[in-house]
Amino acid sequence: MNGALPTASTHLSFWTASRRVFDLSLGEMLWSRRTIFMALVVGGPVILAIVVRVLEMFGMPALRLNGQRVGGVGVFGVVIWMLFLRFIIPILGVFYGTALMADEVEDKTITYLFTRPVPRGAVLVGKYLAYLACTGLVVLPSVMLVYFLLVRVNEIAGTFVQLLTDLALLALGLAVYGAVFAFVGAFFKRPLIIGLVFIGGWEQTVMALPGYMKRFTVAYYLQALVPHAMPTEGVVSLLQGMFRDTPPIAVSLTWLTVYVILFLYLAARTVERKEYVLEQ
Amino acid sequence: MPIHDQGYRRYLGSRAAVGRGWLVITKAGIRTVLAKRSFIGLMLLAWAPFVVRAVQIYIAANFAQAASFLAPKAETFREYLGQQGIFVFFVTIYIGAGLIANDRRANALQVYLSKPLTRAEYVAGKFAILFLFLVAVTWVPAILLLIIQILFAGSFTFFRENIFLLPAITLFSLVQVLVATMTMLALSSMSKSSRFVGVMYAGLIFFTTALFNAIRGITGLTSFAWISPTETLEQLGNLIFRLPPAFDMSPIIAVIAIVTLIAGSAWILERRVRGIEVVQ
Amino acid sequence: MSAVPQEVPGANASAGAAAGAIVQATQLSKWYGQVSGLNDVTATIPGGITGLLGPNGAGKSTFMKLMTGQLKPSKGSIAVFGEAIWGNPSVYSRIGFCPEQDAFYDRMTGLEWVTALVRLNGYSETEAVAAAKRALDQVDLIEAAGKKIGAYSKGMRQRVKMAQALVHDPALLILDEPLTGMDPLMRRRTIRLIKDWARAGKHIIVSSHILHEIESMTSNILLINNGRILAEGNVHAIRDLIDTHPHTVFVRGADPRALARRFLADDDLLSLRFEPGAVIIETAKPDAFYARLTDLAATGEAGSIDEVTSPDDNLQAVFRYLVKQ
Repeated sequence: MNGALPTASTHLSFWTASRRVFDLSLGEMLWSRRTIFMALVVGGPVILAIVVRVLEMFGMPALRLNGQRVGGVGVFGVVIWMLFLRFIIPILGVFYGTALMADEVEDKTITYLFTRPVPRGAVLVGKYLAYLACTGLVVLPSVMLVYFLLVRVNEIAGTFVQLLTDLALLALGLAVYGAVFAFVGAFFKRPLIIGLVFIGGWEQTVMALPGYMKRFTVAYYLQALVPHAMPTEGVVSLLQGMFRDTPPIAVSLTWLTVYVILFLYLAARTVERKEYVLEQ
Repeated sequence: MPIHDQGYRRYLGSRAAVGRGWLVITKAGIRTVLAKRSFIGLMLLAWAPFVVRAVQIYIAANFAQAASFLAPKAETFREYLGQQGIFVFFVTIYIGAGLIANDRRANALQVYLSKPLTRAEYVAGKFAILFLFLVAVTWVPAILLLIIQILFAGSFTFFRENIFLLPAITLFSLVQVLVATMTMLALSSMSKSSRFVGVMYAGLIFFTTALFNAIRGITGLTSFAWISPTETLEQLGNLIFRLPPAFDMSPIIAVIAIVTLIAGSAWILERRVRGIEVVQ
Repeated sequence: MSAVPQEVPGANASAGAAAGAIVQATQLSKWYGQVSGLNDVTATIPGGITGLLGPNGAGKSTFMKLMTGQLKPSKGSIAVFGEAIWGNPSVYSRIGFCPEQDAFYDRMTGLEWVTALVRLNGYSETEAVAAAKRALDQVDLIEAAGKKIGAYSKGMRQRVKMAQALVHDPALLILDEPLTGMDPLMRRRTIRLIKDWARAGKHIIVSSHILHEIESMTSNILLINNGRILAEGNVHAIRDLIDTHPHTVFVRGADPRALARRFLADDDLLSLRFEPGAVIIETAKPDAFYARLTDLAATGEAGSIDEVTSPDDNLQAVFRYLVKQ
């Protein structure tokens, strides 16, 4: 063997190992079919914004939100609520989070990661960070594009901070849902179904009911941070609006942070202890 | 003593006529699905609303006090089929996601199409698997409810007064099942990962609904319901059951949207179900 | 009589850890639900090249996965370099594993992929690239290093898998069916490479169901079937110990009948038959027979002896005998 090169491996810390897995996974994630699908999904609001802008230019009837006439910022708020917060962020969390390890198992590439001198938990955390970067790189620019399409130039100065708040909120949403579904993906056999039931069934239902059950959702804390008015269309959001009790921002931020740390820890722990039997 | 030939012997039995190959695929697929206990659980859950409705009809038929508010109407059957939509969604993902995707992953398409089996027969066989199970959670229980109503009422009065229910249930179930089956088959033919197909299907359903809700929230208009297959089916369902329309959308546009979706799915299937794949 | 030799020269059959043992399995079992993958295996794999042999479904891959910590033992234990491997990632710095499955990040080039993986061994970016190039050069892939793995042929994919296994210069290489998909020339080169690595001081465990390939690499084997170890150690020694089965010897000579007359006088002769120009005998005492044959050849009493071979002093025969038990 060539003695001029180092032959002994250096032990990596957990975080360094996670970073290196992140480096390995980011490229794969960014250029996968999943990301193309995500780009199509976040393209929807952009197209919607273009259509609304075009219709506005041709003098369409005034836009109304909860019976009140609204401008571009109001419409942007609706898009944030109806599309990004209620749908895109949770769905991306389900799709990517449940697939963090499942994709590697299905593609049978997990063997290469699990036979390196890095803790398995670091592999999961590294892939989670890659998911955050990947989704952030696609979703956040889409939000900014929608903002600049909908908000009039003279309103930008006064609402730019709101945009930054929305971006931070959506990034936090991606982080929390991603962590929750990383655990679901690591622990359960059919995580996609469970994830869809959680966001489409559990969260929608308990948010529309009075009581403390809402605290067992991510949406409860996330929606408390939204600076825009909540639109009410349909029975479900009407009920949700009626029974909406908004926790303080500090409480919401604390619980969301706890969720991220807790579920990431549980996911890493599950991956450390789980046997992955690849199909032959 | 004659020495028997232990070597290879040609099959001298009867063979099925050409064109029945799809039935083999269907039977094998059904057997595979029925072997899964979790699926049996899902089917039992899908029939739970039937039990609830059957009890409702029984009470209405036998207790005069309850008849005023529990008596079945045409809307009852429309509501029932609408509520079964959630089970159509989950059964479609559970069974349909891997129907063609798993064959693509195992390179089995080449094996199938090297037999005396046309592409149309292959697709028909796969179609029939999902179609039959979806019919089992829509048309079958709805017709059974109609029969139960006649049996519990002890007369054909309700049936005679609502004779259109039989073709309405059949037509709406057919449309509901056809849309789900064709869409899922098309998506399944586009990927080698059944999980990703499930993700795409769920994304398509949720995203189009969210987009429509956002547009409705912004503009107050419901004429864009054709964007969402779920809402379009809702509109068509009301039309078929002679109920007031759910949205301000022309029935012709609803029909065109559904036909376009089915035709588009058929086109994708025609392009994707091939024995060879050209890699650029 | 048991097909598993009571005493196998060159191998430590005791349950305790043997000095110099690279892998030590002690009453190791693995079940997948109701199906037994490995059943009460106690074996020691010494240094050098060891062939892990068995038919499909014998338990080779299960054993390898237990050895590489991908599966947890249901019962018993397995130690690599004296350390338990399940949940102990630090051991992997000394192990390089080449799995059987044909799975890669197809979008990456060979160089990118091997570099990214060796970075997980603690190499810096520069060191990783250099090590990756070196590994790819060893497996004759340096010219295709810049091509995407998705465009590689089957043999190239197999070689890039081996490259990622040896890139960090591990002490132990575990190769699961490494010659799959390779053409005959490449197979020969790979076998030579494996022997070179062993000569350079690496320990190698190779699994295969192709017996003659293993035989060309090593005579130290571990035979496995139905989740159980059939035999371990030197293949010739194992063969000698299978004394329920006579030794077959093929002798080609100028006068086969004269040879036959001489052989018939021996009481350890079990059977004899003729082939054109040769005689095939079965003997219960091969050592004594070979000694007598040498004398015969020296004296020329039964004519010239042109060829002597033993068709079943090889792995195939050993395996056949043992598997039929």
